[in-house]
Amino acid sequence: MKKTTLPVLTRRYRWLALGGGLLAWSPTASPFDPAGTWRAVLDLAGGSLRFSVDISGRAGAWSAKLCNGDRCEPISRVRVFGDSLSLEIADYDATIDALIKGDSLAGAYRNVGNRGPRVIPFRAARGSWNKAAGPPKLVGRWDATFFQAWRSSPRVFEIRNGPAGLEGTIISNSGDYGHFWGSASADSFALGHFDGSFVYLLTGRLDGDTLRGVFHAGLRSETPWVAVRSTGKPHLKAPTEVTRADTTEPFRFAFPDLQGHLVSNTDARFRGKVVLVDVFGSWCPTCHDAAPALVRLWQKYHSQGLEIVGLAFEVTGDTAVDGRQVRRFRDKFGIQFPLLLAGINDTETAAEALPQLQGFTAYPTAIFLGRDGRVRRIHAGFYGPATGPEQARMEGEMEKEVKKLLREQ
Amino acid sequence: MSSKTVRQLALPGCLLLLQGPTCGALAAQAAVVAQERTEYERWLGSANVSPYAAIAQARIGTGIRLGPADSDVPLEGVPLQRVFEEGGRVVLESAAGERSLPKERPVGLSGFTLLASGPAGRATLSVFGKPALKRSPTYFPYDSSVVFSVSLERADQSGSGFVLEVDGTEVEAPVAGSISFNFAGRLTRLVVRRIQGGDEESDLEIYFRDATNGKGTYPAGRFVTLLPSPSGRYLLDFNRARNPFCAYNSVYACPAPWRGNTVAAPVLAGERYSGGGLDAPAVADTGVKTR
Repeated sequence: MKKTTLPVLTRRYRWLALGGGLLAWSPTASPFDPAGTWRAVLDLAGGSLRFSVDISGRAGAWSAKLCNGDRCEPISRVRVFGDSLSLEIADYDATIDALIKGDSLAGAYRNVGNRGPRVIPFRAARGSWNKAAGPPKLVGRWDATFFQAWRSSPRVFEIRNGPAGLEGTIISNSGDYGHFWGSASADSFALGHFDGSFVYLLTGRLDGDTLRGVFHAGLRSETPWVAVRSTGKPHLKAPTEVTRADTTEPFRFAFPDLQGHLVSNTDARFRGKVVLVDVFGSWCPTCHDAAPALVRLWQKYHSQGLEIVGLAFEVTGDTAVDGRQVRRFRDKFGIQFPLLLAGINDTETAAEALPQLQGFTAYPTAIFLGRDGRVRRIHAGFYGPATGPEQARMEGEMEKEVKKLLREQ
Repeated sequence: MSSKTVRQLALPGCLLLLQGPTCGALAAQAAVVAQERTEYERWLGSANVSPYAAIAQARIGTGIRLGPADSDVPLEGVPLQRVFEEGGRVVLESAAGERSLPKERPVGLSGFTLLASGPAGRATLSVFGKPALKRSPTYFPYDSSVVFSVSLERADQSGSGFVLEVDGTEVEAPVAGSISFNFAGRLTRLVVRRIQGGDEESDLEIYFRDATNGKGTYPAGRFVTLLPSPSGRYLLDFNRARNPFCAYNSVYACPAPWRGNTVAAPVLAGERYSGGGLDAPAVADTGVKTR
């Protein structure tokens, strides 16, 4: 993932950003009250991604949320310096810095890239976006094909009218892209997703029975796509087909927990239990979506013999930094099962750390172990809250699997 | 060439990007470019992977050693480390054990930063120290006459291929197509490659040469990124042309110019080159007129 900079340097970069030409410190200005709802836009080169920023609280103790329609993510820190506003998104080491001009804001969303700065223009004005339902002919499930320059790959769009207007999600073989929200006019639509880390905009137009459009990622990346109404036949690979495992012997893992104690599959606490091994990362928005479902499973079935263990594949490989992020993740969701620091989050590291898995491709991946410790089922990716019925179905399937395994003696 | 293939649209003074199609947008576009330059300078001076922080760049090959004075990349205060490729991944090995160096992910090592990139079997390691802005990049003044709205003519066969990225590392970059535009009265056609980043992000890049190369601009050519626009066309803005990183620091490999990607006339826009290893004469000495 791209948002992966050393936090120390990122912090330093932030200071430079604040001291730079964009933002000026003016101690004499009257205190600015940022509280309220802001209609915000990221200006991607190919279109505008709409979202909202909700700020509440009082001077010195502002809090804020970043919202795609009615789905919101907390912003970790809000600061007002004279005539500028700074929003920090600590989960992803990113910032939005803006100059205040009356009832509007203009500035930039930033994090550091490897071959140049990753900066996207940001602007906002006080007020809420209109809630506009989309036409029925857009609503429903669409089987899409994304055309990258040298290959094409399947996606599914779920488009619906929700309480905040047109909304939906994009699903790939390994999970969903989060909640999208937007608007439609006549035959065309725009749905955006910005969570502080991923910057995605889906724009399209109905052309007869076919939807055609462009998927925008980041400032200037575009992927054309074509979609037709889903016939009900599977368009994506089932998540359980993506990753396979060696089932001839117990599934092995041994990594330190957040206190530095080694936890392994041979520990007494896992003996004879049904174990759900969750491969995740605190940097992964889909893992944030999946966490509440795991907590619910644990609360419901722990007393009946379910153990859950989270294997965190993090950003830096530095225990102090990664441990801090995983503790944030644990506290955010009130997780009581052990979370282990398993390594860095590239596919190769995970494959090496868990050599019994084949075709590891997705965060999160849930590995269900029977009471004998062997892999019984693997679920790659997670359909998050964005996907509505799909998510309910997936959670239902996970619960069914847990119940089935618990019944075995 | 028939006029049908000449798809460029001259932008007479007014541009539409951020602020809508008003004439004030031209000034706005110049301001956006100025802002990008400010950001870039800030990044050059502060990012842990800035070319000014680079100490070494090496093909990993059969393995390289970091640390002690007699190793391939001496790093003060760092005990011996070995970096090698194994089964498509890059491994950092020391007395303390082994760890993976994920591709495109800066990893800290005793105050230094390591960045592995490139395809399996041909990966590259870049090593960085402390960032510092050694010299500000220099640019030609903003010129609205070198901004073109172009359409991307898709390649029939998008055969993949490897080229060197702006930082001298190898990257799979299939030809995305070509663009045609009228530059200084001549039909010019340039090849565009799609260079993949992470998270579904990629850039449409052009590495081009022009008549200023070695005469005020970097001798081997410059990179420019196509900017999509909501209309489906692309913005080619030579004011945004930038040097490969080997113009900043000789530890980088210099990308070889892409065959045929030449603008016959001087492109007096974008980043200039003021020496640094390969000293090029200042523009004023070349007889090439600047605006």
